Amino acid sequence: MNDISGHPSAGDAIALRGVNLSLGRGSARVHVLHDIDLNIGRGEAVALLGPSGSGKSTLLMVMTGLERPDSGAVIVAGQDLHELDEDGLARYRGRHIGIVFQAFHLIPTMTALENVAVPLELAGARDAFARAERELAAVGLANRLHHYPAELSGGEQQRVALARALAPDPALIVADEPTGNLDEATGRDIIELLFRGHRERGTTLVLVTHDSELAARCDRVLHLHSGRLAAAMPHEAK
Amino acid sequence: MSALADTQATPRRQGAAASTLRLAWRLAWRELRGGLRGFGVFIACIALGVLAIAGVGSVAASLADGIASAGQTILGGDLAFTLIQRQASDDERAFLDRHGTLSVIAMTRAMARSADGRSTLVEVKAVDAAYPLFGTVATDPALPLPALLAQRDGAFGAAVDPALLSRLDLKIGDRITIGNATIELRTALTGEPDRLAGGIGFGPRLLIGDAALRASGLIQPGSLVRWLYRLRLPAAGSGDAAVTAVEREAQAAFPDAGWEIRTRSKASPALDRNVERFTQFLTLVGLTTLLVGGVGVANAVTAHLARKRDAIATMKALGATGGTVFAIYCGQMLLVALFACVAGAALGAALPYAIAWAFGALIPLPVVPSLHGGALVLSVVYGMLTALAFALWPLGRAHDISVAQLFRDQVAGERRWPRRRYVVATAAVVAALAALAILTTYDHRIAAIFVASAAGVVVALRLVALAAMAIARRLPRARSAVVRLAVGNMHRPGALTPTVVLSLGLGLALLVTVIELNANLHRQFTAALPAKAPSFFFLDIPAADGAGFDAFIRDHAPASSLERVPMLRGRIVAANGIKADDLKPAAGSRWVLRGDRGITFASTVPAGSRIVGGQWWAADYSGEPLVSVESRTARDLDLKIGEAITVNVLGRNVTARIANLREVDWENLGINFVLVFSPGTFVGAPHSDIATLTFADGGTAKEEAAVIKALAAAYPAVSAVYVKDALTTFDGVVNKLVLALGGASSLTLFAAALVLGGALAAGQRFRIYDAVILKTYGATRAHLMAAFALEYLGIGLVTVLFGVATGTLAADLIVTRAMEFPFVFFAGQAAAAALAAVAVTLVLGLAGTSAALRRKPAEVLRSL
Repeated sequence: MNDISGHPSAGDAIALRGVNLSLGRGSARVHVLHDIDLNIGRGEAVALLGPSGSGKSTLLMVMTGLERPDSGAVIVAGQDLHELDEDGLARYRGRHIGIVFQAFHLIPTMTALENVAVPLELAGARDAFARAERELAAVGLANRLHHYPAELSGGEQQRVALARALAPDPALIVADEPTGNLDEATGRDIIELLFRGHRERGTTLVLVTHDSELAARCDRVLHLHSGRLAAAMPHEAK
Repeated sequence: MSALADTQATPRRQGAAASTLRLAWRLAWRELRGGLRGFGVFIACIALGVLAIAGVGSVAASLADGIASAGQTILGGDLAFTLIQRQASDDERAFLDRHGTLSVIAMTRAMARSADGRSTLVEVKAVDAAYPLFGTVATDPALPLPALLAQRDGAFGAAVDPALLSRLDLKIGDRITIGNATIELRTALTGEPDRLAGGIGFGPRLLIGDAALRASGLIQPGSLVRWLYRLRLPAAGSGDAAVTAVEREAQAAFPDAGWEIRTRSKASPALDRNVERFTQFLTLVGLTTLLVGGVGVANAVTAHLARKRDAIATMKALGATGGTVFAIYCGQMLLVALFACVAGAALGAALPYAIAWAFGALIPLPVVPSLHGGALVLSVVYGMLTALAFALWPLGRAHDISVAQLFRDQVAGERRWPRRRYVVATAAVVAALAALAILTTYDHRIAAIFVASAAGVVVALRLVALAAMAIARRLPRARSAVVRLAVGNMHRPGALTPTVVLSLGLGLALLVTVIELNANLHRQFTAALPAKAPSFFFLDIPAADGAGFDAFIRDHAPASSLERVPMLRGRIVAANGIKADDLKPAAGSRWVLRGDRGITFASTVPAGSRIVGGQWWAADYSGEPLVSVESRTARDLDLKIGEAITVNVLGRNVTARIANLREVDWENLGINFVLVFSPGTFVGAPHSDIATLTFADGGTAKEEAAVIKALAAAYPAVSAVYVKDALTTFDGVVNKLVLALGGASSLTLFAAALVLGGALAAGQRFRIYDAVILKTYGATRAHLMAAFALEYLGIGLVTVLFGVATGTLAADLIVTRAMEFPFVFFAGQAAAAALAAVAVTLVLGLAGTSAALRRKPAEVLRSL
C-alpha cells in the first residue's frame, strides 16, 4: 500500500483508501494512480509536488469527485463520494469544495460579480450577490465588480477565481498550479490571498505546484512519482 | 422513508426543480446579454422557414377572408340555385320570386362568328335586367348595362373580353353572330363581380342580354345551358339565419329539383378548396425550408456548445449538474429560437399587406390583409418544434461535458449518443412536428406521404454522407498533397460533408422534384396529350339531327373519325340507398359527387372502356334501368354490382342497378363517362349529343380551320371546343401554380446556402490552422485554393447526384402513381439545377475560406 498519509482520524477533511485509476483505452490505457492512501486533516494545507505526468492533477480530480477511481474509497468532509451519483457529486462540490484553476476558467460572458455569485446561486443562496460582492472586496476587487473577464488582467482574473472558490465557504480548497499563468509578483499576491483565505476560514487546502518554495509554506508536502505517493515529508521543503 | 416524509418530499422536489429552472433561465439570459453572435445562421434559418409558413398561412387566410367577405358579390346573390339543361318550373320560379329579388343568368358555350366567316368558342353569359344584384360590371368604355345590352339597329349589344377581339381580329363596334342572333360588340368587358365562381373558361367571355340569347336559338331542349337563379333577400330578413331558412325551405319544397344551392357563406367551394390545397403544398414547401434550416440549427447549437465547453465545464466544477447545464443552454436556445420565430412570423404577417399593396390591382383574387393569429401561432409552433428537434441532440451531449478538460488538455471526445432522456425527447418532438404537419393540413394523406418521404430522404442523405466519408477515408493515398488535403477534409471529424449533403441535398431534391414535375406536366399538356387527343369536342349537337351531322363531317373532313354520343347532365343523389351528402368517398373520387356530371346511355361498350366486372347488357336490352360504373369510382364509393345508384336528371330522380364495372382510359381525352346507362333509361328526356373529331394524322391547322368555318355556317348552334386551346389554357394555369411552388422551393436552396455558410464559419478556425501550417511548410495560396475547391467540388457532386436522383424518383412517383401518365426525365433542367447547386457550394465555400487564405502565418502561429 502506498500510505504516506499520516494518521486517519474522524476529523479528516480527505481520506483516500487504496485508490487506483487507469485512463485511456486498449493499448493506450495508462495506470495513472497506484494504491493511494492518504489522509488530510481539517484545516491542513498540503502541497502536492511532482513532475509533469506524475498524476497530480488526476489525484486532485479524484479528490474533487471529478474522476471516479477504478477501486478504493474517497471520503471528503465525511462524505464517501462513491455514494453520490453524478448530480449529487456536482451539488456536493458546489457546497463543499472550491477549485482554483491554473487557467482561471472564468465564464467570459459574465461579470466578475456574476462569476463569483454562480456557485452560490447554484447552491440556492438567496444573498448570492451580496456575498459575492464581499468576497470580491476581500480580494481587492471592489471596484471591478461589473467588469467582464476580458477587461481584467491575468492577476485580477485569478483573484476573481479565488473569490469564486472561497465564496461558498467550502471545507476544502484545491488549487491546480494557481500561479502557473501569472508573473512572479502577481503570483505572490495570489498565494498570499489563497493562504489568507485558508488561514482565516480554517479551510483545508490542497495545492498542486511545481514551486518547492511555495510548497514549503504548506503544513505537509506530498511527492507524486508515476502515480505513487513517494513519501510524506512534512515541512521537508521549509 | 415514511409515507408522511414521502408526501413532504414531493413538493420539496418540485420546489427544487422550479428553483433550478429559474436559475437556469437567469443564467441563460445572462449569457445572452453579450449579443447573439454565433446565432446568425440559426436565426436566419428558423426565421426563413417560419416566414414561409406564416406568409403562406396569412396570405391564404387573407384570401379566405376576402372570399368570405365578398361572398354575396362572388355568388351574385345571397343564394344561388343552379340548374343544368332546364329552366326552373313555374312553381320553383314562384318560390324564388316570393323570397326576394331574383336575377336569372344563363351560361353556355357558343361559337362566335365574324363577318368574314372566322369563328371561335366563347363563354356566353346572358343576363336579365336585375343583374348584377351585387357589385358592378366594369367596361371600357363605361356604359350602363341596360343600354349596353339593348337591341339597336338590328343587333343586340354585348360587352366582350378583349381576347375575343384579338382572336377574330375585331374592334369595338364590329358585329358577330351567335347562333341566329347578331351581336354588336359595344364595349370591352374589364370586370365581372361574379367572375371568380366561374372556374376556368375555355373561351373569352361574351356578356349579352337574355333577349339576345333567346334570339340566338341556342336554347333548345337538352342544350348544355346552365341556369343560375340568384336571390337577394329583402334587407329586413337577410341575416345568415334567413339564408339558411330559405335554403332548407327550398330543399323541403322541391326535393327532386336537382338544383345545386349555394349560399353567400360558401360562394365558391371549388375556389375555397383550391386555395386550401395550394396553401397545403406551399406550407409543405415551407416545412422543407424549416427542415433544411434545422441542419443549420443543429450546427449552430453544436458550434455554440463547443465554444462554451470551458464555461460549461467550469459551471459543473462549481456545482452545476448536467441537468442544470442542459436547462441553461436549452433555455438559451429557446430564447433565440423564439426571437427568430417572432421575427419570421412578423415578416410573414406583413406578406398579405405587401402583396395587397404591390399587386392588389393585378391579382384577380380578393385579398383582405389582416393579422391572422392562428396562422402566426402555427408558424411559431412549427419553428420552435423544428429548433427543438434539431437542437435537443447536441444539447443533450452538453449534459456530459467533462470537467476534467479544465485540468488537462483533452482532444474532443468521441461523439457519443446523448443520454436516453434526450434521445426520447428528440423522438417525441419529431413525432409532434410530424403530427402537427399531418393534422393541420388540408389533405392528411398527402401530408403523411410528405412527412414519410422527408424522413426517408433525411435518413438516406445521412447514409449517403457517411458512405461518402467512408469512401474518402479508404481512397488510396494520393501523391498530390493538394488532393490528399481535399480528400482528408471530406472525411475528417468536423468535415462539411454531412452538413452540405443533408441541407443542400434536401433543398435540391425538392427543387428537382418541382422542376421535373413542371416539365412533365407541360409535356403532357402541350405534346403528349395533343398527339393522341381529338382535335375538337362538339357540344350541343341536336339529337334529332345526329345522322345529318355525321354526314356533314364525313363530307368536310373525310380523313377524320367522328365519335358521337348522347349527353345529359345529372347529379348522383344516392348510392346503394345512402344519400350523396352522407357518402364519404376517397379523396380521388370526391369530384364525382360534386355538382352535376355528364352522363350518357349506350347499347355497346363505349370506346376507350374495358369491362372488368359483370356483363354488358344486350344491344336490344329494354328492361329495368341498368348502369355501368367506372371501376375506381365504384371502389371509392364502395359500390358493387347489383347495387343501386340514383341520379337526378332534369329534375327527375332515376334509379338504376349496377350491371358492370368499366376501366376507362381517361388519358385519350375521348368521350368518357363515369356513368353509362342502358338505352331507354331516359326515354323522353330532352338531350343533345356531343362528339369528338380526330384526324387520322393529327390534323393540320388548315384542315381544322376549314371544318370550323363550315360548321359555323351549317350548325350555328353547335359549339366546338378546340382541344389544343383547352389544353394550352390548362397548361397555363398549371404552369403558374407549379412556378409558384418552384419559387417557394428556391427558399429551401437559400436556406441550404445559409446552412453551408454557417458550417463554413464554424469550421473557419480549423481552416485557418490548416492554411497557416501548410503555408509555413511552403504551400502557396493557389495550392490551398485548389485543395479547398476540390473538396467543395467533391462534396457538391455527391450532393447533386443524390439530390437529382431523389428529386427525379419523387417526381416519377408523383407522375406515374398519382397523376398516372408516363414519366419522362428532363435531363437538361435537372442538370441546370445540379450545376447551380455545385456552383453554390463552390462559390460559397471558396468565399468562406478566403479569410483563411489571407491570414498571415506569423500572427496565427503566435496565438496558437
